[in-house]
Parts: sequence; structure tokens; C-alpha cells
Amino acid sequence: MNILKLLLGNLIKGPATDPYPLGEAITPAAYRGRVAIDEATCVGCKMCEHVCAAGAIRFTEDEAGLHFLIWHNSCVTCGLCAVYCPTKAITLTTNWQTSHRQEDKYKQVDHATIPFTNCSCCGVRFLKAQDPLMLLAYKTVGPNEERLRDLCPQCRQVESAKGAKV
Amino acid sequence: MGLFGKAARKSPWIYRINAGSCNGCDVELMTTACIPRYDIERLGCQYCGSPRHADIVLVTGPITVGVKEKLLRVYAQVPDPKVVVAVGICPISGGVFRESYAIAGPLDAFVPVDVNIPGCPPRPQAIIEGLALAIEIWAARVDALA
Amino acid sequence: MSDIILRVLLAALVFPGGLFVIVLGLGLKGLERRIVARLQRRIGPPLLQPFYDLAKLMRKDGFVPELAQPGVFLLAPLIGVASMSVAMAMLPIAGVYTPAPVFGDLIVLFYLISLPALALMLAGSASSSPFGAIGFSREMALMLAYEAPILLVIAAVALHVGRGTGAVASFDLAGIVDYQRVHGPFLLEWRLVPALLAYLAFMPANLGIPPFDIPEAETELAEGPLLEYSGASLGLFKLGAAIKTLVIAALGIVLFCPNGPTGALGLLLFVVKCIVVIAGLALFRVTMGRMRIDQAVLFYLKWPVLLGGLALAAVTLRI
Repeated sequence: MNILKLLLGNLIKGPATDPYPLGEAITPAAYRGRVAIDEATCVGCKMCEHVCAAGAIRFTEDEAGLHFLIWHNSCVTCGLCAVYCPTKAITLTTNWQTSHRQEDKYKQVDHATIPFTNCSCCGVRFLKAQDPLMLLAYKTVGPNEERLRDLCPQCRQVESAKGAKV
Repeated sequence: MGLFGKAARKSPWIYRINAGSCNGCDVELMTTACIPRYDIERLGCQYCGSPRHADIVLVTGPITVGVKEKLLRVYAQVPDPKVVVAVGICPISGGVFRESYAIAGPLDAFVPVDVNIPGCPPRPQAIIEGLALAIEIWAARVDALA
Repeated sequence: MSDIILRVLLAALVFPGGLFVIVLGLGLKGLERRIVARLQRRIGPPLLQPFYDLAKLMRKDGFVPELAQPGVFLLAPLIGVASMSVAMAMLPIAGVYTPAPVFGDLIVLFYLISLPALALMLAGSASSSPFGAIGFSREMALMLAYEAPILLVIAAVALHVGRGTGAVASFDLAGIVDYQRVHGPFLLEWRLVPALLAYLAFMPANLGIPPFDIPEAETELAEGPLLEYSGASLGLFKLGAAIKTLVIAALGIVLFCPNGPTGALGLLLFVVKCIVVIAGLALFRVTMGRMRIDQAVLFYLKWPVLLGGLALAAVTLRI
């Protein structure tokens, strides 16, 4: 008779159904959803392209700068890109509402451009170091580090070797 | 036939074809259909055992070379009007298996696809959202019959 | 003469056969699905869902497979619906409707009840698919098994009524209802309680409810005999199944506790009794898994036959 008690309990307790789509759905805080890229923080190391499990991330280069492209329909939300990004420019949001019609299949992309700049000393074209990378390297971004920011790697070496300016 | 059309749009029956899937998406589909927490029967959906009873066809898995012919045969047995949904990123783009020699191609290379549900595997709520979109398309198609 | 024909047509096509049984049958099916869902802590489909399903199936492409026999393939669903419509027209609803004597008695009803199962078997064999063939053979085996107890139940009831009215046996349905109005419902008649239990055991197999929904097993046979059906033919099969549920429930009510007030209140009481039967069947559907065909046949040839035999013995030996 246990089963009858169970059924009676079920009738009394009522439905246990998640109210979505007629109500809100609970999303866990650590849910691995759609990928988001922060253009200002990316330094163009291409680590994410290297570790991407499904080859969803592509980098291309042209006059304007380095172009980051991710096709969300090939992304398996493994999170490896977010783990290995040194500056946490690429992160996984909790957005799981990504269903779309067939017409929008190739529009599910995110695109970022990391612009080239010219070295203030020798004028060669290079990618500037962003703040998070500077923090990783120098532990602080003060006036000593500021003057190194606009220099290409060769000039930065020369300037660094001259010693810190108090 | 307006009344018939209005009634018919509330009864989409779903049928799942596993085209070489790892079963992750199939487990999520079963979760969506069978457990009390995500009840798709309230939307009128019901799993059917035969492709000839189906309205919405859910395809999981990258279309492997071995399964391609069988997929086309089963797809031909689904009566019109029908809606095809690609569940998971494997049928949309090939997913992690994209450049493998065993994949015949994405699903839209073989059958006309209507809705894509990305995810690996997509969350049950995401599948329900995609199904709700597919039901909208299905309702428009079945209502449009003369 | 034409009066009789009109009465028969009205009974078979509008009330209680035809329209009435279609609307009530589909409504009860929707109620059953909702009850099953609530017992499983789900919300369940809207109550009118079977109507929506039927409307949808009418608009789908119905095609006949290349290797199937088109005549039998398209005729089989009609047999099920037509026979159940007429069967409902033969069942008296106490205080509300008495069938015209031209319809026939319990023997004819018993024949009509076995026709939908026959239609399913025809469908399975006309489909020319291996799943259909297996479904056909399993339906045949199951039918042989469950026809034995129902025969004993019918004989026990008829003999009991006959003994009470002075004849040997009375198969007339209106007579059975009248007898129960005078002597009390057979639900409370101790000699026929085993017959009631045998009838309750017979119902799931006839209606395709777990644990005996073997021929149309979705997981094992991919819908068995109905595999190759689509569109309007499939709609008619689903309709026939819904109508059959109502007819078998109504037959149980006629045999065991038919009486109540007259008029609209009587009709309401009849519907409430049907709902009680449907809810009981929903309980079966929720709690039990499917039996194998050999287990099911052996079960039927043991316990329900024993119970039916007990009832028959109790009635015949004038205990």
C-alpha cells in the first residue's frame, strides 16, 4: 500500500514543475552560458584560439588590428578559453537563452577588434599592453609603468634597463 | 477550417532522431519529456513512437557518414506539415567533431532546418525555449493549410 | 417501420452513440491524462487536448505505405469507430435512455466489443511491417486470454438475472438494469463480487492500459500495429480507442451498478460513475509497468478465469 500513500502524497503536494516558459527559470550562478569578449581587455595572445575545443574562435589580422571572431554555434561552452585567458577578457556569461531560427544561424557571432598602435619611440606597429597584463607583469601600474606602455617590446627593454625613474 | 486550424496548433507531437549523437542531448531531451520538473505535455507535446505520427522532428548528433542514409529515409516518412529542430551544436555545425572524416556534414546540408538550439548539451529550459519557437513555426504552418 | 429506423439512426449517430460518445469519450481521455499527470506531480495537458490531437491529425498528410494493402489499411480504423458507436447505442443509461430492442442483447454487444481489437489486428497485418506483424500476433494472443474471463462474467450475470426472473438466462440489457433496480446493484451481490473483480482485471487489457498495453508498446514495438498510420486514419484509431474506454466503462456500470435518478441528474450521475472508473484506470497506468505477453496470457488464464468461474459456480449451484 506504500504506492497508494505515495500517490496521495503526490496529489497533496501538487505539481513540482519548473514554471518556465510561463514563468522565470532559476539559473545557477556558475552556469557556463554564452561567451562574451571584452575588447578593451584583450591583448591578442591567442591562447583562447589555441585551447578552444571546437575551433569556434578565429583570429585574423589586417591593417586596422587583430580581429577576434567567435561563432557561438560551434562553441561547446567548455570554458577553457576563460580559464586560460591571462587578462580575463573572455568570460562565460549565464545566458542560456540562445535558441534561434535557421535564418540567424550565421549571425550568432561576436566580433572584437584589438587595434594596433605605433611605438612612441621607434614608430613600429604593435599591440599595446592592457592594464590587466601590466598588473600581471609589474604588480602595480604607477607612473613608472605608464611610460613603458606606449613602447614596442624592443624600446621597452631599452627603457627598462635605464632603471626606474623616481 | 479556422477552428480546426486553431485547435491543431495546440497539438505538436515530437519525434527524436539520433544521428550519431553522444547521447548527451538525448538524455536532456528525455529529461525534458519524462520528469515532472520539466513537463512539456502542458504545451501539448507528446513523444510518439513512430515517425509517421510526428510533427516536430528533433535531430541530435553530428550527421555521421553511417547514419546519413537512414536519417534521410526516416525524414521522408514524416508527413507534412513538419518542423525540423537541430538540438545541440552537433547538427548545427558539427561541434567538436567539425573537421572529422566521419561526419557527412551539418544537418542543413541534407534536410531543411527551422530552429537551432545551441548548447552542449542545451539545458532543459533551453530545449523548452527552442521547442516553444518550433511550436510557433508549426502553428503557422498547420494553420496555413487550406 | 421508418420510426424504428429513425430511432436507430438517432441512437447510433447522435445520442448515445456517435456525437455524444465522441465528445464524452475524448473528454474523459483528456481528464485521464490530466489525472495521470497530477499523480506524477506534473501539470499535464489541457483538458481539451484529445480534441486538439484529433483536429491536428485530420490536417496531416495521410499516406499509405507502398507495400501495404490499401483497402484493408484504410478500412480498419472505420471498423473500430463504427462498432463502438453502435455498441454505445445498445447500452441503457438508467432513467435516461433505453435502447430499441432491435439493437440486440448482451451477446451482440460482446461481439461488437471484440471488433476494435480485430481492427487493430487487421491494421497490424495490413501494414506489412515487422513491427505490425508482431503487434498483430500479440494482440491476438492477448485477446484470446482476456475473452475467457469476460465470457464467464457475462454468463454469470445473465444466469443470475435469469434465475431471478424465472427464465434460464436473460441476456437482455434493459432486463439486467430493471432487475438491479428491484433487487439492488450487483456491486453488493456477494455471489457476483468475483465477477466484478474479473471484470476489473479484464478492463486494462481491453483498453491498452499498463500493465497490459502490450500490442501498442511504444518502447518495444515502436507503436506496433499503428506504426505505419498517419493523418486521418491514425486520428480514427485514436478516436476509436477513446470511445472504447467509454463503452467498456459504461458496460461495467450497466452490469454492476446502473441505477440512479431520471432525467438530467441521471445523466450526470452516469458521467460521474464513468469518471470514477477512468480515475481507477489512471491509477493502473501510473503504478504499473508493462508485462510480457506470456506473463499476461498466463495471468489471465489463471486468476480472472478463476474468479469468473467462482461467480458462475456460485450462481449456478444456487448457493
